[in-house]
Amino acid sequence: MKRQKRFEELEKRPIHEDGFVKEWPDEGLIAMMGPNDPKPSIKIENGVVTELDSKKRDDFDLIDMYIATYGIDLKNAEKVMAMDSIKIANMLVDPNVSRKEVINVTLALTPAKAEEVISKLNFGEMIMASQKMRPRRTPATQAHVTNIRDNPVLIAADAADAAERGFPEQETTTAVARYAPLNAIALLVGSQTGRPGVLTQCSVEEALELNMGMKGFTGYAETISVYGTDQVFTDGDDTPWSKGFLASCYASRGLKMRFTSGSGSEAMMGNTEGKSMLYLEARCIFITKASGVQGLQNGGVSCIGIPGAVPSGIRSVMGENLLCMMMDIECASGNDQAFSHSDMRRTERLLGQFIAGTDYVSSGYSSTPNYDNTFAGSNTDAMDYDDYYIMERDLMINGGIHPVDEATIIKVRNKAAKAVQAVFEELGLPKITDEEVEAATYANTSKDMPDRNMVEDMKAAEDLLNRGVTAVDIVKALYESGFKDIATEVLNLQKQKVCGDFLQTSAIFDKDWNVISAVNNPNDYQGPGTGYRLDEDPEEWERIKDVPFALDPGHMKF
Amino acid sequence: MSNSIDEDLLRRIIKEVISESSNVDKPISFGEGQASTSVATADDDRSTLSHAVSEEKLDWFKHVGVAKPGFSQDEVVIGVAPAFAEVLTSNMRGIPHKDILRQLIAGIEEEGLKARVVKIYRTSDVSFCGAEADKLSGSGIAIAIQSKGTTIIHQKDQEPLSNLELFPQAPVLTLDTYRAIGKNAAEYAKNMSPTPVPTVNDQMARVAYQAISALMHIKETKQVVQGKPAEEIEVNFD
Amino acid sequence: MSEIDDLVARVAQQLQSQSGTATSGATATTHATSGKGLGASDYPLYKKHPELVKSPSGQSLDDITIDNVLSGKVGSKDLRITSDTLQYQGEIADHAGRSAIQRNMARAAELTAIPDDRLLEMYGALRPYRSSKQDLLDISDELATKYHATICSGWFKEAAQYYEKNKKLKGDN
Repeated sequence: MKRQKRFEELEKRPIHEDGFVKEWPDEGLIAMMGPNDPKPSIKIENGVVTELDSKKRDDFDLIDMYIATYGIDLKNAEKVMAMDSIKIANMLVDPNVSRKEVINVTLALTPAKAEEVISKLNFGEMIMASQKMRPRRTPATQAHVTNIRDNPVLIAADAADAAERGFPEQETTTAVARYAPLNAIALLVGSQTGRPGVLTQCSVEEALELNMGMKGFTGYAETISVYGTDQVFTDGDDTPWSKGFLASCYASRGLKMRFTSGSGSEAMMGNTEGKSMLYLEARCIFITKASGVQGLQNGGVSCIGIPGAVPSGIRSVMGENLLCMMMDIECASGNDQAFSHSDMRRTERLLGQFIAGTDYVSSGYSSTPNYDNTFAGSNTDAMDYDDYYIMERDLMINGGIHPVDEATIIKVRNKAAKAVQAVFEELGLPKITDEEVEAATYANTSKDMPDRNMVEDMKAAEDLLNRGVTAVDIVKALYESGFKDIATEVLNLQKQKVCGDFLQTSAIFDKDWNVISAVNNPNDYQGPGTGYRLDEDPEEWERIKDVPFALDPGHMKF
Repeated sequence: MSNSIDEDLLRRIIKEVISESSNVDKPISFGEGQASTSVATADDDRSTLSHAVSEEKLDWFKHVGVAKPGFSQDEVVIGVAPAFAEVLTSNMRGIPHKDILRQLIAGIEEEGLKARVVKIYRTSDVSFCGAEADKLSGSGIAIAIQSKGTTIIHQKDQEPLSNLELFPQAPVLTLDTYRAIGKNAAEYAKNMSPTPVPTVNDQMARVAYQAISALMHIKETKQVVQGKPAEEIEVNFD
Repeated sequence: MSEIDDLVARVAQQLQSQSGTATSGATATTHATSGKGLGASDYPLYKKHPELVKSPSGQSLDDITIDNVLSGKVGSKDLRITSDTLQYQGEIADHAGRSAIQRNMARAAELTAIPDDRLLEMYGALRPYRSSKQDLLDISDELATKYHATICSGWFKEAAQYYEKNKKLKGDN
């Protein structure tokens, strides 16, 4: 047909490069309340759940069985299941109802009932509810620190850079899996150089990830994935029982951990049993609760393109974050994957969590340009820093990071690069040259770095694991090469593992290793004048206000 | 080669797969309410996602019985996922499966090793395809590839979800990459330590392709047959 | 200042109520708390109850210093949480309304006794299609008899039963 010129122009806009799909419930391509989702129900006989969400105990799959055994507060269940979902939805939004009162109700929901409650909320109400329901009073956010060459010097410098900007948690992964221990060590050393108290993790295969935690290279783990259908859970090479056991393994080594789930993963992995994304995600959240895991990363996460492609999908993703908080679980709320070609839509994606404030608004914000993000890119990256700071400043919102001046960043990057150079030297790892240190100090991406011999690095990484090197060796290496302060901080992290305070819900550390968690910093929001308010956190507000590129009317040179 | 598919073509392919409805360009009718048609034929619709379809018989891709473990140190097994070649025919960028396989094999042969192709039925997951294929491989090294193009190099003693090299971003893989993957796999089989095939990172690829990727994977998963052992495939590119 | 006074009072009280166990050096099996248990006001242990926290070999947090690391008095085996400390953290979690976390910490407390490599193997055995029913029951026995890990032993038994019904045992794929 003859094209209408305005339509032709519109088709050239970035939004047209995103993928959109019509709803298709039979393959799970529907955000919430799909026609095949079960009707909420529970039957308890002699303390045993004999029916869950319209399914009889004999027909339970492993997920049903796990949730029925460990995931629901049975003493309130029948009472709560009889409540009108709209009433529960109202309690979530009503500032006069305390978080604790809501939790007493929500812990007794079933997955299908929980989905129904969420479905009653519009997007604005979800923001209101999340503001009240997030476990930790003070919001925060998390960084990705990666590069596509797995260059350890650059990881250290970028980690220090990100720490200085205020990320209390940092996550790395590998482009090539065998690099894992080197990346983990570089991240550990770099982050403690930037700001003591930062927690770090390295996302790799489950058993290796735990192994690196045991050696003290990491402080926590996050990518312990759970899924909402039995088949996909199996494809993820686990069962609820193995994942629950893994959770206990982490705790037994004093390591913080959270699970990961997110809408769309079941569709992405080809088996939804025809259920909606939010229903399946509700099951994941209940599995997390059942496991006694303190936290969950959810909100689409790496499959965000799937909920993002269907109607009401981004609302549903906010709903799954909220449901996580309603289960009294730390929520690292997604916003961690390249999501849209459109800047306007990227902002839309971020908006709910950013305004409400969550335990980690993003899980993670790419602290490098997306070019180097080996999680396949994040929704926001280092090139968005200044925009993000201005959003915080405009709206007076603590989004978890703050501006830092260039000279400070240069100094701290340099120190981190030198520290990791020294550690490599002391541990007998392939040499890091002064040229690399210099390049990492000033680099924006790995393109600015000289090439390393990757084969040699990988051999050294394998050897490092075989030699039984641990965090103690890193402490010694740092100390003996003159980085006494960083050595102390790496040891302080190990001390916290002995103590276990950061195993509690939503725990992070400040720069003096004071733990800040839902136990000693519980969210007490109950309307205006309560909860976390940036104006009552003057130190952070000053940092956010003080963008280096704002004119200073008092010191103008005309 | 078809290294650079032009974008318009690409977009058309995506649109066709995503909206199963016909997307043909027809002139607009200004008359009163036209009945929108495009009826998908019910049963023998090979493009259906709702159930498994029969495998197409191909001359170049022949089943020759159940695959047996190999004992020859100088072979690399390529495990293809259940819908490969016979149900779906090209990856999500439209690169034909035949060309992909040809390049993987060429890469292996370039190193003086033999390639053996097997079709996996038990799983559509790329890691588990790899974990099944490497147990059939005399060298313990396998390449696994899904119909959508995602590829992995896997070694026998690794956890299923670990890998030697993983290429999760199918949209950025070219035929040259596939050849390099074959070559590296062969080098691992020779106990060498090759430099990993360089990672190309296109953070927008996921955004553009995630939906189509899911749909292709759903289709592949429908072809899974629980308990069915892998089958030996004889390939012939002449 | 009153905060500090509170703290001192609490610590003193705590020490009194647990005299004996808290000072006799930590062993892996005794629990220092009496029936009442720790609560949110005892948290964080690092600041409020450092005296309750010991390394596996009985060192206190103050012993974990750079000097001791350099001299080899503190090694990586000492930088581990103990079963007692996990019990305390479990009590704190439960007091804050999170009984599920307490249950996880109780399992974790049992697992502190198991060497890393064996623990990784046990986890591996629970993954789908790895173990026969008997394999799982054997580990269950090992947990009970060798490590006195009764909760975790039950966990493996439960898995054995449900894996059989839901076809996740070796050979089921």
